[in-house]
Amino acid sequence: MNQIDSMAIPVEGRMTTEELFELKNKMNTKALAKRRSKTVLRVVANIVFAVVILLPLLYAISIAFMPSNELFTTELNIVPKHPTVQNFIDALRTVPLLRFIVNSFIMAGFITVGQIISCSLAAFSFSFLEFKGKGILFAIVMATMMVPGEATIISNYLTVANLGMLDTYPVLIIPYLTSAMGIFLFRQFYMTFPKSLYESAKLDGCTNLKFIVKILMPLTKSAIGAMAVYTFINAWNMYMWPLLVTGSNNMRTVQIGISMLDSIDSQSITLMIAGVVMIIIPSISIFIVGQKQLIRGMFSGAVKG
Amino acid sequence: MKKKLVSLLLTATMVMGVLSGCGNGKTSVSQTGDTSTDEKVEMAAADDVDGTTITFWHSMGGVNGQAIDTLVNKFNEENEYGITVKAQYQGEYDDSLNKLKSAQIGNMGADLVQVYEIGTRFMIESGWVVPMQEMVDADNYDVSQIEPNLAAYYTIDDKLYSMPFNSSTPIMYYNKDMFAQAGITEVPDSLEGISKIGDQLMNQGGASEVMSLGIYGWFFEQFVGKQGLDYANNGNGRDDVATAVDFDKNEAAKNILTEWQTLNQEGYAPIVGKGGDAGLADFSAGKSAITLGSTASLKQILQDVNGKFEVGTAYFPKIKESDEGGVSIGGASLWALNNQDPKKLRATWEFVKFLISPESQAYWNAQTGYFPVTTAAHEEQTFKDNIAQYPQFQTAIDQLHDSSPEYCGALLSVFPEARATVESEIESMLNGKESVDEAVTNMADTINKSIDDYNTVNN
Amino acid sequence: MKSGKKIEFAPYCYLVPSMLIFAVFLFYPFFKTIYLSLFMTNKMGQAKLFVGLQNYIDLLNSKSFQNSLKVTVVFVLIVVVGGMLLGLVAAVLCNKAFPGIRVFSTAYALPMAIASSSAAMIFQIMLHPTVGIVNKLLGLDINWLNDPRTALYCVAILTAWLNSGINFLYFSAGLGNIDETIYERASVDGASGVQQFFHLTLPGLSPIMFYTVVVNIIQAFQSFGQIKILTEGGPNESTNVIVYSIYRDAFFNYRFGSASAQSVILFIIIMLVTLVMFRMERKGVNY
Repeated sequence: MNQIDSMAIPVEGRMTTEELFELKNKMNTKALAKRRSKTVLRVVANIVFAVVILLPLLYAISIAFMPSNELFTTELNIVPKHPTVQNFIDALRTVPLLRFIVNSFIMAGFITVGQIISCSLAAFSFSFLEFKGKGILFAIVMATMMVPGEATIISNYLTVANLGMLDTYPVLIIPYLTSAMGIFLFRQFYMTFPKSLYESAKLDGCTNLKFIVKILMPLTKSAIGAMAVYTFINAWNMYMWPLLVTGSNNMRTVQIGISMLDSIDSQSITLMIAGVVMIIIPSISIFIVGQKQLIRGMFSGAVKG
Repeated sequence: MKKKLVSLLLTATMVMGVLSGCGNGKTSVSQTGDTSTDEKVEMAAADDVDGTTITFWHSMGGVNGQAIDTLVNKFNEENEYGITVKAQYQGEYDDSLNKLKSAQIGNMGADLVQVYEIGTRFMIESGWVVPMQEMVDADNYDVSQIEPNLAAYYTIDDKLYSMPFNSSTPIMYYNKDMFAQAGITEVPDSLEGISKIGDQLMNQGGASEVMSLGIYGWFFEQFVGKQGLDYANNGNGRDDVATAVDFDKNEAAKNILTEWQTLNQEGYAPIVGKGGDAGLADFSAGKSAITLGSTASLKQILQDVNGKFEVGTAYFPKIKESDEGGVSIGGASLWALNNQDPKKLRATWEFVKFLISPESQAYWNAQTGYFPVTTAAHEEQTFKDNIAQYPQFQTAIDQLHDSSPEYCGALLSVFPEARATVESEIESMLNGKESVDEAVTNMADTINKSIDDYNTVNN
Repeated sequence: MKSGKKIEFAPYCYLVPSMLIFAVFLFYPFFKTIYLSLFMTNKMGQAKLFVGLQNYIDLLNSKSFQNSLKVTVVFVLIVVVGGMLLGLVAAVLCNKAFPGIRVFSTAYALPMAIASSSAAMIFQIMLHPTVGIVNKLLGLDINWLNDPRTALYCVAILTAWLNSGINFLYFSAGLGNIDETIYERASVDGASGVQQFFHLTLPGLSPIMFYTVVVNIIQAFQSFGQIKILTEGGPNESTNVIVYSIYRDAFFNYRFGSASAQSVILFIIIMLVTLVMFRMERKGVNY
């Protein structure tokens, strides 16, 4: 607004006030129109891009409602002609999906909280404190990211089996209570804070723990949000480990539930996709519920401007 | 002197090592279940097992899993011995076997486990199992009730090692409407025959492809058996542990690949992908006139086709019209694990007997499309109703009965890997990366090397 | 004295929880893997025959493993570049407030909510030559997943799509941290949108960009579920990335020794790449 005013006045210096007002209004509508068209453009671009991104999901939802004979045809079949919820009913009847969803929630929830705590602590140490061997220790932490999961899973199984922890919630949770990626992410954020922040807090008599909880964590809400969502969903999606360490339906998680929908020799694709759609719902819900906080943190800059 | 002593000692230990190595290998073949202790596990008496709980690991998801749960619940309610069975799904066959490997070290064992047919040699050599034969003998169970062709696969050295449970054979599915339109009345019984009617099916029958033939190791093995030839040496790995494949020397592989390549190059059988179900979608969608698939897929195929056309079934094709051989079975069987517990062993056996009872088997067959293990199941009303509803299944039964038990298929310790090797070589050949001869040589070399490696460290 | 000691001790305290878990569930098993890589193993995965570096020598000479290396590099490149581009475009599209931003940002982040195995099942049907929607819409007859020319791209694009959700979040967080006033000043100076993007947005994103690149590379190297379901390493080993090859050898072919050696090689490769990245960080990242 200011720009337009300041630009308009010197050029049209000789006009009467009425003409000036008229011109100003004109310019304003023009600018408004320009901004509107920009917004429209932005929305259109977003719609196009969102459809591309969501295409696989939309297609999956469509298939989940299809009777299987509609899927197997050479004709174009984007939308089910005779939509049915039978696939969902069958999927729920085949496998105790609800119990599995609860299990997955418990597992993923604890893992998420645990990782946020352990990673904040470690990242704090790596970015604000000085100590011997810091470089090497950080390199070691980073190196853990690079160990292929397949290389450790059998050994880990034997470890927890010897501890007598099989088929319990702790065995699903404990090995994943920290992650190099989380430490790395938090460190990356903490590095953007000036050291003086920490030093002045120290001078004010703030303990390290208090500094983390009262100052660092609130300042890095967006990072914590991103990390929480990421961790939760990764935990939600684990397959190999839960399969190995759980045995009973009481402890099974959803990803195993999906594979239980697949019967060898008589694979019903529509049934499986219905199951997939159902287990995506909770992780999407988590995201939508958490997104208020998350997006607010992330777009704080944009909202301010 | 000292040097001599040392070398003597060394030689002695080495010899002992070799001997014990051999010994281990042999004992685990002939006296399986005795590796952990020297005593055999005897079954407890049937009236002595009240309150025993056993764990059953299976790999049946979907409708098959539901059928298992129903059977298990029924057993838990009805059995008069006070046995409780806990059925646990353990992922696909591979997952389950891998878990078993780790569990045996970690002591979270099952009592009964379902293992796929190509894991048979592995299980025999594992030293973890009690052969079914021991329970059969101790209980004077009449083995003749069991379908002989199914039992044959799991019988080695006249000993029934595991109980066949979900067994199937592959059959040929064809689109009757296309055949009628093309005016073909005689359904071909060989790949050679299929290529002869290829043009007819495509030009007059309205097929876009003649045959959607998935690249699947199991089909390859069946094609070998259909020629009446052996897959591996030492009597298909049944007289003794196989040390090399035989299909390169007896030309079996070459015949298969040559015919397959012809079908492919004529445009009759394009590449549809790897795996047993790779060709099914094209068939169900009405694109291909013929496909091969497991008998257990029948129900799903009919559901997917849903009356768009009439589905016909025929015997699994031979290679040349002149071939003579038979099909072997696939699927999985039940293995009793040795947990040094006579009560659990008895409980396991009682449960196995329940699972293979005519009534259970008729139900199992109707739900899943696997063969009834016991012939008496054919008399059950459930079975009769099912065959009335799905007359195509009769083809599967006839094919099984027409095939002599001598074509019961090979046993190989590295079968899972061998199957994957065969598939990838066929794929390379069809993609024009190598000739038929090269593909056969590569298959044989790769598999033979795996066998060697395996035998070096495991026997 | 006392306070001096405390300062020495405290930094390590904060590392204890993480280090303990790493030690038990990562370092210990990984050293076991290194040990096993020097042996031939029996079918139970126990060390049986000491062979020294033979497993490594065999691998480096094996055509199949050389192919795996090549495939892995191509795969990682496509996944990282593709996944980051998708995420970046989405983040820039959602950078300024507009009606419906909530809906769209949810949509862009959604792919990360989907397990790789579930996504693979969906793509399997989409790409099916006969009943799949892709061929039907494009009017093509391509067997996407069974043609050695296309299979790798399909799997890589699927993976890029899966990763785009989290990349969108990272970039959004990064964009949110850029001070809005610098754009205003740039507009006054007459900088075009494109100039602004390259001179303000990208440099402003550099701390998070660095993190995102490293994480994407590491994740891409370890993608597995989708390959197992879609192609099993085929056709013609054209999608046989190292992780899949490890899985096959360890869980399928009874060759833990060779699988362990491959794990170690993969570890070294990822470590080298990361080291290079950190070198570059020191030069190019603005905090």
